[in-house]
Amino acid sequence: MAKTETFSVVGQRVNRVEGYDKVTGGAKYVADIVLPGMLVGRILRSPYPHAKIVKIDTRKAEKLRGVKAVVTAEDTIKQGWGAFFPDQYPLSVGKVRYVGEEVAAVAAIDQDIAEEALGMIDIEWEELPAVFDPEQAMKEGAPLIHEGKERNIAMTLDVERGNIERAFAESELIVEDTFESTPQWHCAIETIGSVAECSPSGKYTIYMNTQTLFMARYRIAAALGVRETDVRIIQSAVGGGFGGKSCDDNNAIVCALLARKSCKPVNIINTREEEFLAGSRPRVNMNIWAKMGFKKDGRIRAKQLRIIADNGAYSGKAPAIAGVAALRHDTCYKYSDVKTQAYLVYTNKIPTGAFRGFGNPSAEWAVEQIMDKAAHNLGIDPLDLARMNAADPGYVSPHGNRVTSCELRQCIDLVEKMMDWKGKRAQKKPNRGLGLACTVHVSGKRHFGDYDGGSATIKVNEDGKALILSGEGEVGQGAATAMCQIAAEELGLPLEDVEISRADTDMTTFCLGAFGSRVTYVGGNAVKDAASKVKQQLLDTAAEMLEARQEDLAAANGKIFVRGSETRSVTVAQLARARLFRRGGAPIVASGSFDADSVLQDATRYGNESGAYNFGCQAAEVEVDPETGQVKVLKYVAASDCGTVINPIGAEGQAEGSVAQGLGYALIEGLKMEDGRPVNPNFSDYRIPSMRDMPPLEHAFADSYEPTGPFGAKGLGELGMDPTAAVISNAIFDAAGIRIKTLPITPEKVLKALKAVSNQEPTRKVKLKADG
Amino acid sequence: MKRFVALKVNGEEYDIDIEPNRLLLHALREDVGLTGTKEGCSIGVCGACSVIVDGKLVSSCLTLALACQGKEITTIEGLAKDGRLHPLQQAFLEYGGFQCGVCTPGQIMAAKALLDANPNPTEEEVKEWMSGNLCRCTGYYKILEAVMAAAHNKISSDFQVKHERKTAKIQSLNVYKDS
Ligand code: FES
Ligand code: FES
Repeated sequence: MAKTETFSVVGQRVNRVEGYDKVTGGAKYVADIVLPGMLVGRILRSPYPHAKIVKIDTRKAEKLRGVKAVVTAEDTIKQGWGAFFPDQYPLSVGKVRYVGEEVAAVAAIDQDIAEEALGMIDIEWEELPAVFDPEQAMKEGAPLIHEGKERNIAMTLDVERGNIERAFAESELIVEDTFESTPQWHCAIETIGSVAECSPSGKYTIYMNTQTLFMARYRIAAALGVRETDVRIIQSAVGGGFGGKSCDDNNAIVCALLARKSCKPVNIINTREEEFLAGSRPRVNMNIWAKMGFKKDGRIRAKQLRIIADNGAYSGKAPAIAGVAALRHDTCYKYSDVKTQAYLVYTNKIPTGAFRGFGNPSAEWAVEQIMDKAAHNLGIDPLDLARMNAADPGYVSPHGNRVTSCELRQCIDLVEKMMDWKGKRAQKKPNRGLGLACTVHVSGKRHFGDYDGGSATIKVNEDGKALILSGEGEVGQGAATAMCQIAAEELGLPLEDVEISRADTDMTTFCLGAFGSRVTYVGGNAVKDAASKVKQQLLDTAAEMLEARQEDLAAANGKIFVRGSETRSVTVAQLARARLFRRGGAPIVASGSFDADSVLQDATRYGNESGAYNFGCQAAEVEVDPETGQVKVLKYVAASDCGTVINPIGAEGQAEGSVAQGLGYALIEGLKMEDGRPVNPNFSDYRIPSMRDMPPLEHAFADSYEPTGPFGAKGLGELGMDPTAAVISNAIFDAAGIRIKTLPITPEKVLKALKAVSNQEPTRKVKLKADG
Repeated sequence: MKRFVALKVNGEEYDIDIEPNRLLLHALREDVGLTGTKEGCSIGVCGACSVIVDGKLVSSCLTLALACQGKEITTIEGLAKDGRLHPLQQAFLEYGGFQCGVCTPGQIMAAKALLDANPNPTEEEVKEWMSGNLCRCTGYYKILEAVMAAAHNKISSDFQVKHERKTAKIQSLNVYKDS
């Protein structure tokens, strides 16, 4: 339900606070940072998917003129690190497990010399048998990738709620099928990079384009074997993250090792090829068998999943991603009896990891197609099937997720209207079809250190401007602007009078950073808390100066005034100065904090994982060309429930950008792999959507208010790409009667499926007759 | 062997000492010191490195710096004049035609080259032309809106005022009052 609150800054279409720098070329990204005496770092990568390192000889490389440092595992503490399992090393210890793995690195006075030196490092290899397919890797006798990880299984999950056997027995329709998703690369236009220096006292300062500063600090410190505060992370402008820059890779650690050894600042900026080989960890590809039982009227009775997820060579965040794929969707519809099994399996390929949507896009690719199949089998409009099963406020999922605000039904209604769904269905045209899918996402998730919170500090400067110190960071998604709006709203300041600092682990308190659609909700709540404390200090001082009672004071337009007699007022600048410049003076400053009302899932994965859930529904109208197999998206519509929209420009941008990534995932993105090695790791072979690929898009926000969110807001960033691939596949089925079960949906696959259908047609008719 | 090359960038002359195979992209970023031009793919596909040379849009990652001697090079840094943004920059800012901003210098340069040659393009023409500039953040809708807005002069009038460099008088901390 929407709340009738009027806001002055929240909800306004405001320009980005960092926008001026970005449109003038003035924003400093990590590749733009140059420190005096800075060296160029380059990394020697494994050419083999699985091999023993018998010997490394770096002597020749060290002697090359201009080389200042060469590092190998011998320069490290040989301690594993990782988000959940400490299974990866900064530089390979003893063996390599995928093509692209970091083996050694060089810092030199320029790039050419650094690269020449890489060629002079002598390595004696002993190739090992490798395995690339997770199902093969799970078999007895498959090459073992990590000691002690039997059958290469990194993690298993097996959860049953209710009684799945009985639920299927009581179902009147059972639909099952198997679907496969592909790795998807983030393809942020800016690659991962770092600039590191190490002071003589041993303190590392690392400029990074990371989305999660404090998590980066924690992992880097662990890998370097130093205390957390021995590492200072300063965020540069970030050229797109989407999960790929959440520090699951070795770039910054290797950079820090080179800086320590050379006693000079060093930068390592991934090339585009390195980014594909070993940079951002691509979306975990999964093989999903899904089975669902329905009552005749369409109500979901049972759901069972069996997921085999490809972990790649090291784990990163894949364990959590597989968990999300296994469980999250059970918060979208009303489920009672569910069973889910997931296996996360090591292979000799690039480690997979976090990409916008986490496990959701893979799971929804399967589950939302089962929903569609069920609708067609039951003779129910897919839209009605979704509406009938949609979660409501107050719904508790079988795994304990407690839904507070939920406008999924409203989203479905909006999609129906924007698409003219019923009208178009009534007048179906040949080769054209409609498809839809629904989704749920979290607003932050409790899984690191039993903390699902955030913090921020706000100080009011002597000129009356407020400065937010926040460690959440800005990755391009607009977090900084949203936080400034939230602070401005709470403090009664114009937006121009609120600034936000660059995120810096030495200058801000602990924040988890940008993942899990959490920053506006969790970080925003922390900013609001800090702002309300600052406001209290302003009111204290104003009451003194205006000789008024605090209850009679209000804040607006940069002033505190007496309600009713607005001329009795004092500006925030006057207050800041009055409080500071006097005997016993003090600055106006306060820290705020927020921890969501979520719980850490127990050993059975039960527990409310997030403070708020966001919902969405999307639909497409497509045309399938029977001659070429081309799928043309004629119209795309999306509706999102993200609570209060803090900045419509930013929120629309999130929705539009995620639909674009979703369409890329559905239709074009993928990389040809040979023996675990991407064949052409570049932007001409891995194509992402360009302007001419984008269909007409209509988008709407549900009228919604999240009671636990800052001014009613909750998460949004990932929602928009979760269901997109299923939407397209469902629409293709409606258009042409074919179901594509592997991603991406290429014209070749469509043609092949069309051919199979036309070959099958006669037999089907015969069978129907025989049945009748 | 390094050699001296004179580049004219945004109306100013720069003498730089570079290898003959130095790419314009790296010469601009590292030798001239203008880092607004970005590197995204290094193979001429993404458009992040777009600059204008003698009125023509080029990918600076595919262009030798040496070949640009005596030519007029315009980069993103050359668009704002006297603290006033170029209409395209204003439009990108006002219509939200960027998020992370790393593709933005290239997008704006590409749009400028288009509007310089064709001040009144159709939406289809803009889509076709701008398809050489990849953006992973926006889905392109707001970029298209911004380019069309700049072409049709749909930038709000108070916008410039809001973004003009501010001057301020700092209040004195002098505790000794003037006699
Ligand atoms: S860097 Fe030149 S086109 Fe991509
Ligand atoms: S704004 Fe991020 S790539 Fe275009």
